[in-house]
Amino acid sequence: MTTFRFIHSSDLHLGRRFASLPDTPDANLRGRLTEARHTALGRLATAARAHGARDILLAGDTFDSPTPSYAVVRQALAAMGENDDLAWWLLPGNHDNLREAEPLWATIARDAPANVHALIDAAPVSLGAAATLLPCPVAYRSAGRDPTEALVTMPSDAGTARIGLAHGGVTDFDDTGATIPPDRDRSARLDYLALGDWHGRLEIGARVHYAGSPEQDRFRHDRRGVCLAVTLEGPGAAPQVREIETGAFLWTRAGLRLTPGQDAAAALAALLPEAGRREVLLSVSAAGRASLAEQARLQDAATRAAPEFAHFRLDTEALATHYEEADLDAIDRAGALRLAADRLRAEATDDGLSPDQREIANAALARLYAIVREMRE
Amino acid sequence: MKLRAIRLENVRRFTEPARVAGIGDGLNVLSEPNEQGKSTLFDALQALFQRPHGSKDKEVRALRPHAGGAPEVAVEIETAEGRFTLSKRWLSKPCARVESGGRLVAQADAAEDWIARLMGDAAGGPAGLLWVRQGMTGLDHGNRREQEAALAARRDLLSSVTGEVEAMTGGRRMDAALARCAEEFSDYCTTTGRPRTGGPWKAAQERVEQLKAEEAELDATARALHAALDERRRLRRDLSDLEEPEAAAARAKRLAEAQAAHQAAERHAERVEGHRRALQAAELRETDLAVRLDGLRAALAERDAATEAAEAATGTRDAAQARVAAADAAAEAARKGLAAADATLEAAEAAHRDAQRRQAARDGAARRADLAARLERAEAARTAMEEAAAAARHGPDAATLRRLEDLDRDLRAARARRDGAAPQLVMRYAAGCAGSVMRDGEELPGDTPVPVPEGAELTLAGLGTLTVRPGTGPQEAADTERAATAFAEALVAADAETLDAARAAAAARAEAERRAGEAKARLETAAPEGLEALRAARAAIPETAETAETTAEAPPLDPCTTERALGAARAARADAENRRAAAEATAAEARTAAARAEAASEAADARRARAATALDRLDATDATALEEALAQARAAREAAETTLGEAERNAPDLAAAGAALTRARSVVDQAATRVAELRPAIAALDERIAQGAGDAVEERLAETRDTRAAAEADLARIEREVATLTRLRDALEAARAEARERYFEPVATELRPLLGLLWPEAELDWGDETLLPRALIRDGQEEPIDILSGGTQEQVALLVRLAFARMLAKDGRHAPVILDDALVFTDDDRIERMFDALHRQASDLQILVLTCRQRAFRDLGGRMLRLEGASDAGA
Repeated sequence: MTTFRFIHSSDLHLGRRFASLPDTPDANLRGRLTEARHTALGRLATAARAHGARDILLAGDTFDSPTPSYAVVRQALAAMGENDDLAWWLLPGNHDNLREAEPLWATIARDAPANVHALIDAAPVSLGAAATLLPCPVAYRSAGRDPTEALVTMPSDAGTARIGLAHGGVTDFDDTGATIPPDRDRSARLDYLALGDWHGRLEIGARVHYAGSPEQDRFRHDRRGVCLAVTLEGPGAAPQVREIETGAFLWTRAGLRLTPGQDAAAALAALLPEAGRREVLLSVSAAGRASLAEQARLQDAATRAAPEFAHFRLDTEALATHYEEADLDAIDRAGALRLAADRLRAEATDDGLSPDQREIANAALARLYAIVREMRE
Repeated sequence: MKLRAIRLENVRRFTEPARVAGIGDGLNVLSEPNEQGKSTLFDALQALFQRPHGSKDKEVRALRPHAGGAPEVAVEIETAEGRFTLSKRWLSKPCARVESGGRLVAQADAAEDWIARLMGDAAGGPAGLLWVRQGMTGLDHGNRREQEAALAARRDLLSSVTGEVEAMTGGRRMDAALARCAEEFSDYCTTTGRPRTGGPWKAAQERVEQLKAEEAELDATARALHAALDERRRLRRDLSDLEEPEAAAARAKRLAEAQAAHQAAERHAERVEGHRRALQAAELRETDLAVRLDGLRAALAERDAATEAAEAATGTRDAAQARVAAADAAAEAARKGLAAADATLEAAEAAHRDAQRRQAARDGAARRADLAARLERAEAARTAMEEAAAAARHGPDAATLRRLEDLDRDLRAARARRDGAAPQLVMRYAAGCAGSVMRDGEELPGDTPVPVPEGAELTLAGLGTLTVRPGTGPQEAADTERAATAFAEALVAADAETLDAARAAAAARAEAERRAGEAKARLETAAPEGLEALRAARAAIPETAETAETTAEAPPLDPCTTERALGAARAARADAENRRAAAEATAAEARTAAARAEAASEAADARRARAATALDRLDATDATALEEALAQARAAREAAETTLGEAERNAPDLAAAGAALTRARSVVDQAATRVAELRPAIAALDERIAQGAGDAVEERLAETRDTRAAAEADLARIEREVATLTRLRDALEAARAEARERYFEPVATELRPLLGLLWPEAELDWGDETLLPRALIRDGQEEPIDILSGGTQEQVALLVRLAFARMLAKDGRHAPVILDDALVFTDDDRIERMFDALHRQASDLQILVLTCRQRAFRDLGGRMLRLEGASDAGA
């Protein structure tokens, strides 16, 4: 029995441009995020060496699109080639599926360094004396069928561990029937099934794992990306799976529930991480209720804090306005301005109106408050 | 709130405590010369009510005496809750206190709140004090820019009114807020609320559109790329299928086999063709022999037949000639019979004609006599008609007579007119003198008017003659003359002496016309077709002069008898004619038959000669030898047929072999062509795919999609912003309009009687936008406030202020009105009326007048106050 060690990762989405994210004024953020995806290759290599592994299995979506730019492809291949003590196993996923990304895989097959392998056939590949890799490349963007079916009948070298490598969901989100059964490890006699597609780390069973993207790209999983360092003691033995953090950026969400009278700025400050803000993308969703003045202070605090973060977003859609006399007095104690403010408040709190009308009235009142405040300064 | 006392310490020149005490309800006057601290008092009051005790701003520092120290101000006020003392100290050990009857009510910030509430907070209305001051007041917070704006706005004497208006309506702040709102709005929108070109809204819309277009374009490119990939995969599969070695070998083998089969089929076909030609030769020989045999047999038969026919024809000819002679004799006999019948007929015709002529002569005499009688009658009628017509041409006709009657009537009418217009004589004889006046020898009738148009000469018995001459009336006379002339001319034209003669002549003419008509009718009865026709009819009947002698000579023959004899003669002749014609026809026929028989005989001889010649020409005349040769030829032909049939049955299908060969060749050719096509097509696709993939189409598509989504979110945000701004603007405008309703109408109501005091019939016009008095309307003349004289401006300002105060007082909010030299420009005459206005208001307001015009204000009345030194015993 030989012990086999490898690194399981997926969904690098190299070449992703993050155009939906508003860029920082220096137009730096998108570049940094794109760059972090590339440098994740180096961190995977480091993790592999630390784990004593030779093979790095990438379970699909290595590239973000079927036709990444030449620079993205060449630089990725070069980065992998420079780590020539390691073997990189690239599986086509749905983003870089065989059909649409034919030129990409042709390029890799033609130009890749010797230690980079494109798994474009659903056929067993020997990983040495200890293990056989059983890849399930994705042929079409949405194939409408379970890509791991072939694993059941795929042969492997006698006495080696069977390692499945596939890309797809285990939950039938869009009702296409194209899902991987969670017990595929048993039906295909696998020692380990390395899955890709889900960007967060997820354990389906003892032998079935999603490694998630080594570099996160969305506010969803609330932790830095990891890769999995897997150790197989031999065929039939339970795999030992260890997470190694590889993410440079932390994408995280925070809820800020406010009550009237609470110091909103302080509450926000309490949420913010102390250190490493430059590598943090933070999305704060304010909810509850706050006065106009508190809202203004919250906005000020957010405006002050935002530049320290890679990206900072304050969402106040769920935050209702608590109207205090003092707020309205700040607009005016009496007279026409106060009259307008009273009208808008009445409209903003009138349940007989549509939510849209109420929100607009609320926004108009907040604007009036802001205008009066600015005029006073 | 009412002021009762004011105390100052360490305020400018009042380094020692000073106070104004005993301020009563109604009008109070503090009349001091300039530089006696009147303005200081005003500033101190403002500071107390408006400056927090912690303030160190310019206004507060300005209160400090040159010698230094902490300014202190205290006022005693009376409100509904009782009397209070408010005091503040600034700069050093600052403090603020509110006391009531020596009891501390509030201090420090609590005291400030208390004062703020007093100033209007509690009432929810404007400030509790109303200030009027000449020139700039530096109250009010605000930044430097706003202060500058305020300074500009306060250059006129309405400055403090403006302040109050703002306190109530938001005034300038409202304007500023609206301006801000409009400014932000105009960034996005045109005035009509549509996206403004060049604005962020329009830009966002355009960006979304542009990104959509880009996305669509990239999407199309990506699709094209995928299509190219699919196509290349298909073509590559085709190519590899074609180029597979086994397939190529199979194609070549199939071609070789097809070629061999085709060649074998061609050779066999040549052999069959040789057999077919041999058969044709055998057939030809057989046919030739058969034809010759038939010819010989026919010539022999013809010779025999022609000889026989010639003998028969000679017999026929002789018989025909005998029949001709017999027929000619018969025809001669028939001709003679005809001549006899002709003679008989001629005699019968002559007898019949004679009988007819005699009959006709007898009929004609009676008819002639009848016609002669009718002719006589007709001629008599014509003569009568012509005579009557001649008579009818004389005398006037009906129209002429009518005209004469008309002219007569006209003449009478003219005369009557003339007589009517003429002078008249009326004689009334005295008793016993009747007839003593004569005219033209006649007695002038008595008692009767006698017209004398042409004058008259009267003989008065025993007196002489009296001549009467008509003066005028030539018109009527001329008319009468003309009528008379016309009538006379008409009479002459009608050829009559008088009108009665004319009437008689006209009657005679009418009678003659009637007679002519009668005669004409008679003529038409006798000779309906005219006399000439009648005469011609008579002439057509011959005279029968000779009939007499014939009758005498021979007895008359009956035409019927002669006609029957004639018919019999005609029938006999026709019979004879028929007989002759038949005989002649028979003779002609016989001659024709003879001629034909002659011709036939000659033809038969010729035929016999031709048959003999034809037989002589034939080379082989031995029929038996020929028959033998023919039998041999037939056997040879049958053998050739058998051989050919055998060969044809065994022949392979040449067409099928050809088709198989063509197909095999085309398969090979097609494969080559297709390969030649596929290679460049794949190369082209390679190029296109490489280019598309290198352009990172999908990558850019994903990016564009994201960017578009972000742009759409941006657009939605802007649309929301526009909606927000629109809502805010509407709310502000509505509130301003409502404020006007709420504040200005009441103020105007209060102001009207005050204006009436100074300027009866005057009216203030309020600006819609600024909510400030805009113009004074006096005697229908509109005078904008800013061109009114300084005196009038300050008077208007003061009255507006008083009106505000009154309005507030009516709401239960008593606000003291403090006037600091508010009437510097007002002349003495006008000032009296202002004093009246002040007194009128003072009945329910507290008014504090600070003035340096001691003399002018002496007569104001009201309570006179003094600024005096005060002990430290509080305010």
